[in-house]
Amino acid sequence: MTLLLKATWYEIIKIASKWRTYIGFITIAILVPVIMFLVRKYGFGVQDNALNSMKDSFMFVGSLVNGLIVSYFLMNVLWVHFPFFIVLVAGDVVSSEGAAGTFRIWLTRPISRFQVITAKFIATFVYTAAIVLFLGLLSVGLGMLIVGGGDLFVFDKGILILSQGEALYRFLIAYLLAVWVQMTVASLCFLFSSLTSNSVGPIIGTYATLVVMFILSVLKIDALKVIHPYLFTSYFDVFFAPFSDPIPWREIAGDVGKLGIFILVFYLASAISFIRKEITT
Amino acid sequence: MILRTKNLSKKFGNRWAVDGLNLEVEKGQIFGFLGPNGAGKSTTIRILLSLIKPTIGEFSFFGQDFRKTGRNVYAKIGALVEKPDFYQFLTARRNLQMLAGLSGGVRDKRIDEVLEIVKLADRADDRVKSYSHGMKQRLGIAQSILNHPEIIILDEPTNGLDPEGIKEIRKLILRLAGDFGITVFLSSHLLHEIEQTCSHVAIIDNGKLVVQGEVHDLLRKNDFYVTEVQVDDPQRAVALLEKETWIQKITSGDGVLKIQIPAESRPHLTQFLVENGFAVSSVIPRTSLEDYYLTLLNRDVK
Repeated sequence: MTLLLKATWYEIIKIASKWRTYIGFITIAILVPVIMFLVRKYGFGVQDNALNSMKDSFMFVGSLVNGLIVSYFLMNVLWVHFPFFIVLVAGDVVSSEGAAGTFRIWLTRPISRFQVITAKFIATFVYTAAIVLFLGLLSVGLGMLIVGGGDLFVFDKGILILSQGEALYRFLIAYLLAVWVQMTVASLCFLFSSLTSNSVGPIIGTYATLVVMFILSVLKIDALKVIHPYLFTSYFDVFFAPFSDPIPWREIAGDVGKLGIFILVFYLASAISFIRKEITT
Repeated sequence: MILRTKNLSKKFGNRWAVDGLNLEVEKGQIFGFLGPNGAGKSTTIRILLSLIKPTIGEFSFFGQDFRKTGRNVYAKIGALVEKPDFYQFLTARRNLQMLAGLSGGVRDKRIDEVLEIVKLADRADDRVKSYSHGMKQRLGIAQSILNHPEIIILDEPTNGLDPEGIKEIRKLILRLAGDFGITVFLSSHLLHEIEQTCSHVAIIDNGKLVVQGEVHDLLRKNDFYVTEVQVDDPQRAVALLEKETWIQKITSGDGVLKIQIPAESRPHLTQFLVENGFAVSSVIPRTSLEDYYLTLLNRDVK
């Protein structure tokens, strides 16, 4: 166990020592404040459109636009765009060592391959969690700071008004679920990474898989409904579930469980592949 | 017995890269593992270090079957497989700290010690990407001795080094064996490296063991001492010497006679030539593993 903890810590050091790790953090650190400042200065078109459709039924006084609403809409990047930051690192974790030849030294130590791959997987999880939570903290934090706080209006099946305190609690749950969703992407990329010796292949492979799955998920064709449960993208919207009232815990637990199965399968497949791998480079 | 392989074999596709290899390495030896490129040396070493799996056969370290000891035995083994690839973006010290952490029971002080041994202490906190090939090679040896190993397995450690670098690594290997009592398993395709460094040798070709034993014994047993002689009339000398029964083999080229005789017959050879009226300008004894090696591999002896 101690050896696994050490190996995990070393994997985190390796990830943290690479320039590519910070591309996502830097992009988020630039993009989020820019968006918040622009919203503050020029308003929030999406919100206005949503409100316009309800002007006949409701009377709104003042502005409902606040940092929490902007943060809520920003969560949409978690679907397709954000996974790029995940695969950029996850795709490199195993494959780069095969290409660089570092396994020749690393694997001659009295540590099992299962521990090595597990350490890498945990480190990938740590990175995934860190960058998702960074996005959450920055968007909610800077949103409130720059645009301002207040109640959160959620337009879904109707209008849900959440107090600031309640909204923050929902954001916390939502971003924890987003970590789990992104971890599914990371673990798929991790699997591809363990099969190859270059990091470009896993990145392209994961994205191609994501796009195909999204297409299959959104097509409202009856024949495709049969395969929907087997597509992990079918459960990606779980991070929006906490913004319903009441929070559908049972559905969330179900989706988390199903995504967990995908993560477990990808992890075990990676482990089997890595343990059987012959280090000839 | 520090290391023993029994019928060790590895098949890639239809080709046996290693074929029924039986090696025996005793404590304290500097064991040369010699063979031409593609002979199966690196494959054998990769099997011993569990980087690849053998197709058939077994091996044991310290008298214990690897299938029983598992990877725990690597706590007492150091290794450097081909060129040392470290994490370039980390410092040498950080690389060693991580490897020490995975080796179990290695103190921080030991990192300074090994850096001192390989003369990299003053560059310990530089990133590995700033290191020359020779420095990386020395760092590779440093990591191999981190855990106070009883045996180190070095795969072509002088590959790609300049003469100065080769000399340094060779001195280092001799020091590790002499000063620290570490058994060394050294693979190389360089004959003179084995000849100058090793006490024992196993020669491998096409995945098969050709011969193994003590370097000195192998040479002596086969009387593989060549004497190079320059005389004023080489053709007449060849004709005359070929009739002598105590001459094992004689060839000539570029005015130099290469005569294969036991070392103790050299004075007699000189006397014989002088008595037969030759002006002898040089007699150079040459004990070479090279000729022996080439003979064993059925290649032309120069």
